[in-house]
Amino acid sequence: MAQIYEAMFLLDNQVVREDWGKAKAIVTKTLEKHGGTILTARRWDERKLAYMIEGNRRATFLLVHHEIPGDAIPAMQRDFNLNETVLRYLSLAVDVVPEEEQALSEAENAEDFTIPTPPPDDAPDEEEPREDVDEDSLRGRSRGSAGERSANSKEPDKEPDEEPAAGAEAPATSDTASPESSGTTTGTESAAAGTETATEPANAGSDTATEPANESSGTEPVGAVDETKDGDGADGSKEL
Amino acid sequence: MARRIIRIIASKHCDDPVINYKDITYLGKFLTPQGQILSRRRSGFCTQCQRQLKKAIKQARHVALLPFVG
Repeated sequence: MAQIYEAMFLLDNQVVREDWGKAKAIVTKTLEKHGGTILTARRWDERKLAYMIEGNRRATFLLVHHEIPGDAIPAMQRDFNLNETVLRYLSLAVDVVPEEEQALSEAENAEDFTIPTPPPDDAPDEEEPREDVDEDSLRGRSRGSAGERSANSKEPDKEPDEEPAAGAEAPATSDTASPESSGTTTGTESAAAGTETATEPANAGSDTATEPANESSGTEPVGAVDETKDGDGADGSKEL
Repeated sequence: MARRIIRIIASKHCDDPVINYKDITYLGKFLTPQGQILSRRRSGFCTQCQRQLKKAIKQARHVALLPFVG
């Protein structure tokens, strides 16, 4: 008992450019030679391959539904493996032939049906389904990375906020505002420390001891930073 | 503790479990940018559908519709 198979053949575009009927006949005659019956045969597509096969970047896909006895399959496979026009093939057992395939195959067999000539191997593919996939995955990645970044950025911000007892203001400040405030405080502190060490190296140790206190208060308002600016040097050390 | 964000692409696919190797737009959703098949945890398929997906992707790779390596 013969089984119905759906087979996809990748045909060399050089042969297809010469004559599509000839390229199609290579496949159908081989199947008929081994006792197969062609039910439908049509050009499925011509597209760029995902990877090179025997030096070809593009190929024409021929979709064939056929019946063939099981004992003839190994000989048929050997013939297709030796054939240089058939770059690759995939044969799957199916229960029935879809009605759409029959209609499309009949439409291709019509006399007025013309098949476009395959473009050269270097031509890019018209439809690129991988781009949409990449966009989706990139969106997912960007979300994940953004989440990770925000999570990472929050952690160092929380540490100085948790040290002082100003827990009520810490959640009210946005994620973007908190790193800016912390960045300004550290910048002023380093600048202040630099000037102090240049002028009074003996007081540098005492000033650095006051800096952690300024850090804790500096995260909340910007005015606190200005106070340290005004009171840096002699004023800050005098108060303490 | 940071939570891992897992996007489930296909949910309740079992209503229409036929996955064809020619539908590469659909199959491409279940590949990573590197061309690896998504795990069942991320794809959201049941066991049977994930096997069908795996088979269809490997058939599509054989006829160079999908890449082995992205």
